[in-house]
Amino acid sequence: MLRLPTLSRALAGAAHSKGSIPTSNNVRTSVRALSNLVEVFVDGMPISVEPGTTVLQACEKVGVQIPRFCYHDRLSVAGNCRMCLVEIEKAPKPVAACAMPVMKGWNILTNSEKTRKAREGVMEFLLANHPLDCPICDQGGECDLQDQSMMFGSDRSRFAEGKRAVEDKNIGPLIKTIMTRCIQCTRCVRFASEVAGVEDLGTTGRGNDMQIGTYVEKMFLSEMSGNVIDLCPVGALTSKPYAFTSRPWETRKTESIDVMDAVGSNIVVSTRGGEVMRILPRLNEDVNEEWISDKTRFSYDGLKRQRLTQPMVKDASGQLVNTSWEDVLTRVAGALQGVQGSEVGAIAGGMVDAEALVSLKDLLNRLDSETLCTEEIFPMSGAGTDLRSNYLLNSRIAGIEECDHLLLVGTNPRYEAPLFNTRIRKSWLHNELQVALVGHNVDLSYSYNHLGESTQVLQEIAAGTHPFCKVLSQAKTPVVVVGSSALQREDGAAILKAVSAISQNARASSGVEEGWKVLNVLHRVASQVAALDMGYKPGVDAIRKNPPKVLFLLGADAGCITKADLPKDSFIIYQGHHGDVGAPMADVILPSAAYTEKYGTYVNTEGRAQQTRVAVTAPGMAREDWKILRAISELAGVTLPYDTLDEVRRRLAEVSPNLVRYDDVEEANYFKQANELSKAVNQSLLGAPLVPPQLTLKEFYMTDSISRASQTMAKCVKAVTEGAEAVDEPSIC
Amino acid sequence: MASSAATRTAAKAVKPIFSSDLQEARRRVRELYRAWYREVPSTVHVYQLDISASQCRDKVREMFDKNKHVTDPRVMDMLVIKGKMELEETINVWKQKTHIMRFFHETETPRPTDFLSKFYHGHDP
Amino acid sequence: MISSLALRSLVSNAVRSLHQTAARASAGGMFVHRDTPSNNPETPFEFTQENMKRVEAIMNNYPEGHKAGATIPVLDLAQRQHGWLPISAMNKVAEILDVAPMRVYEVATFYTMFLRQPVGKYHIQICTTTPCMLCDSDSILEAIKNKLGIKVGETTTDKLFTLSEVECLGACVNAPMVQINDNYYEDLKPSDIEQIIDELKAGRVPLPGPRNGRFSCEPAGGLTSLTEPPPGPGFGVRADL
Repeated sequence: MLRLPTLSRALAGAAHSKGSIPTSNNVRTSVRALSNLVEVFVDGMPISVEPGTTVLQACEKVGVQIPRFCYHDRLSVAGNCRMCLVEIEKAPKPVAACAMPVMKGWNILTNSEKTRKAREGVMEFLLANHPLDCPICDQGGECDLQDQSMMFGSDRSRFAEGKRAVEDKNIGPLIKTIMTRCIQCTRCVRFASEVAGVEDLGTTGRGNDMQIGTYVEKMFLSEMSGNVIDLCPVGALTSKPYAFTSRPWETRKTESIDVMDAVGSNIVVSTRGGEVMRILPRLNEDVNEEWISDKTRFSYDGLKRQRLTQPMVKDASGQLVNTSWEDVLTRVAGALQGVQGSEVGAIAGGMVDAEALVSLKDLLNRLDSETLCTEEIFPMSGAGTDLRSNYLLNSRIAGIEECDHLLLVGTNPRYEAPLFNTRIRKSWLHNELQVALVGHNVDLSYSYNHLGESTQVLQEIAAGTHPFCKVLSQAKTPVVVVGSSALQREDGAAILKAVSAISQNARASSGVEEGWKVLNVLHRVASQVAALDMGYKPGVDAIRKNPPKVLFLLGADAGCITKADLPKDSFIIYQGHHGDVGAPMADVILPSAAYTEKYGTYVNTEGRAQQTRVAVTAPGMAREDWKILRAISELAGVTLPYDTLDEVRRRLAEVSPNLVRYDDVEEANYFKQANELSKAVNQSLLGAPLVPPQLTLKEFYMTDSISRASQTMAKCVKAVTEGAEAVDEPSIC
Repeated sequence: MASSAATRTAAKAVKPIFSSDLQEARRRVRELYRAWYREVPSTVHVYQLDISASQCRDKVREMFDKNKHVTDPRVMDMLVIKGKMELEETINVWKQKTHIMRFFHETETPRPTDFLSKFYHGHDP
Repeated sequence: MISSLALRSLVSNAVRSLHQTAARASAGGMFVHRDTPSNNPETPFEFTQENMKRVEAIMNNYPEGHKAGATIPVLDLAQRQHGWLPISAMNKVAEILDVAPMRVYEVATFYTMFLRQPVGKYHIQICTTTPCMLCDSDSILEAIKNKLGIKVGETTTDKLFTLSEVECLGACVNAPMVQINDNYYEDLKPSDIEQIIDELKAGRVPLPGPRNGRFSCEPAGGLTSLTEPPPGPGFGVRADL
């Protein structure tokens, strides 16, 4: 089946050669003999490149940047902006560097009179219809057109006629469109159809009247839509929540990590005056490439709302009242001093950093308690969490590009891990990846073989009686991914057992080399892997069975435990950054810092440790999580042996060295042993179908305490359910 | 032993700054005090201080009292020189209001060093 | 001086605003869709049985995986069936070809011959490009306007005629000309076009072609070459062969 959209067929040859550039993706790698190399010259400098390399890539290889608008590394070649025109010696006309494959012996002149003249001419035409509204344009300061017109444009205009104007579109509450500024590079169109898999954008009309849009009134509904803002080389597509708030040169950029899902996208947090202005993606080929999901990008306004800024205690009338740190810490320490062993328990939420997790564990261990749970459940029978390979996305996110058959079980990666889904789509598009799904029939932005949603199917595949087994046995590099939501069920262990058996069978039939990982678990929350690495018990069963007198909620906002599960006189401590689900039931509230306000270690679903950095200071009296726990420990008389971040991290390294080896993935193995152990699981699959909790876009936007506090996300939900007009605001501009 | 003897002889041989004996040094201190005492009203006026002259005089006295344990004429002379320099700067308005008011600052609390006080104190990284 | 400059810029603006592509005038105006009572996603459109067979035949011309290539012929078929292309027809075509609706909108808006607004039973397209203009196409346009009482881009109240001005239709040798639906009427005089419109009003379709008596696009003043009968076989061949 042909999956490349017609647009990308334009230069299939050029596109396929992309693998030759080491910086570009490895999807299109083609093996060629060294002798096949073509020698070309860039401004006289000789360079050998693979045949099919474009002029632009060859120039990039020697470090010569060619101006461009429509060309983008990760999108198909369009060749319609003409900005990359360069002169080739002895060629009659300038050629578009992005679309022209090099030929032997060409001398590419990137700074000749003709080249410069061509660029100036193209720039003049681009500016002919471009409004001169840079002072009120949000792209000002990071605008390709602005920069390149300074570099390559003329110093004056010869254009005296009227400019074309295009009406603005309403494509949702996230993206603001000022279509008059559009230069028709079609990057957004190609992104939508190739990366996001939503073919809603296109070019309508022709000639001077051509415009980018949706033709019919329609929103650009995608979980990745925000990326077109970064792609747009001009100010035609800008961020609606960020509109008119700050300029790029005013903001301070802090490189950090996203915690909205378990992928751990690399982000840059732009701040000004102690306020998060916006969040942008940061390049990491192994994790998120250069995209981020809309929840990552736009939920930052949730960091300014519903925050806990003051320590609070419940007074005699049951009201939470503000108090001082001295007061709450003494109360908490007093409560902890009165209990021992299983009388004290703790639940860690989905956005807790590893430093806090280790401090909490050390604190409770010192009180002889082992009741440390996470909100997310993971089946403990069989190998449980003892073997790391059992709960990681072992193939890694980038590993999907080398896989040829993918089986998804009980997951909707599109909303549970949008960036992972983007990888699958990329591989599906370029590598003919075959995807099959056991679970609810959802729109994954690519076609897949839907095997059914009952657990029966899983059993049949594991037993080898299902017709799909034939397909799976043909696979050279199979990958099986089970969603963590499927493991939340009562029969989680049985599902994991079946998936483990399927993986083991697929590995055996494929004959793939030993290092290839088949079994994968796709987590949904950022803290889970670190918590499991540290020995937290997944699931709150232990607490439900044996309700403790003192319960410590560390950012636990999923509502796993309610007041009804605990004895009347129990003392609940909530430590977290948002007044969400967990805080109202607490007797004491300890305000802590959110992910943009602390140095924190997060381990993503692959087992990759990454760290967030301080972008802004925590609001009010909020403190970093591990410091609060350290202070409690001192007052409770069981002082933790660390005073500084470095010392906490040293302790982390003691517990598990991989937690502080940043940007490194610790290999996990023992699949066979895990499978053997899983055979001992004596649990039968339930009849209920495998339905992940996030089925449609509406359920994607608000999943945790930050995004639930975000107005932008609320608007998105409203727009998805009621239409774009429901959240339309009068334009300020 | 030899070294301390050497220092003793050196101290004896040392040249006085202004005052040959304690009496003379004390006279100089009194002169300086009187000069400050007389200058105070005009300082309050010139710098438009929000405090009264008597408060300033108390402060002057306090500053002098702070060094009343000093008995070495050389040290006294040096302190008098410093005091004169301050006085000159004050009279000639080489200072600004804030510099005068610095005399009235309470002593700053030392930064906390142990974990818990740092925690209570603020967002100290 | 200043006033003359101002005047010049005024003139240039006026000239600029006069310049409109044909697309804007006839095919459907804007390049965004607005729901109207006559043109909305609920507008009924379904291919007839025999047209469905044609659609299949067209699609079979394209290899598997390249069905999108049939967009233009299938859109054309839809337009021939319905007279013009409502948004529902485009959606239907997208559904049949299994492509995103946007990809069909792109094609339909690019080509000016896809009409995205309702037209009358007879769509009169008059060429006013230079060769026709030199042969006084303006008088033909005037005649049509007077006869039907409509301006360019408008439809008569009885929904019979729509008049649009188009660029060169490639019949310059027979200028001036109009295209009415699929027929070319060429070498027109104002009286000819009036007669054609009368015929159409009466429900007859007049014979297409030149109106000044010549055959097809032969020279207007009779043949200047190839006048004698063509020589037979063996002409100009050596006698000994």
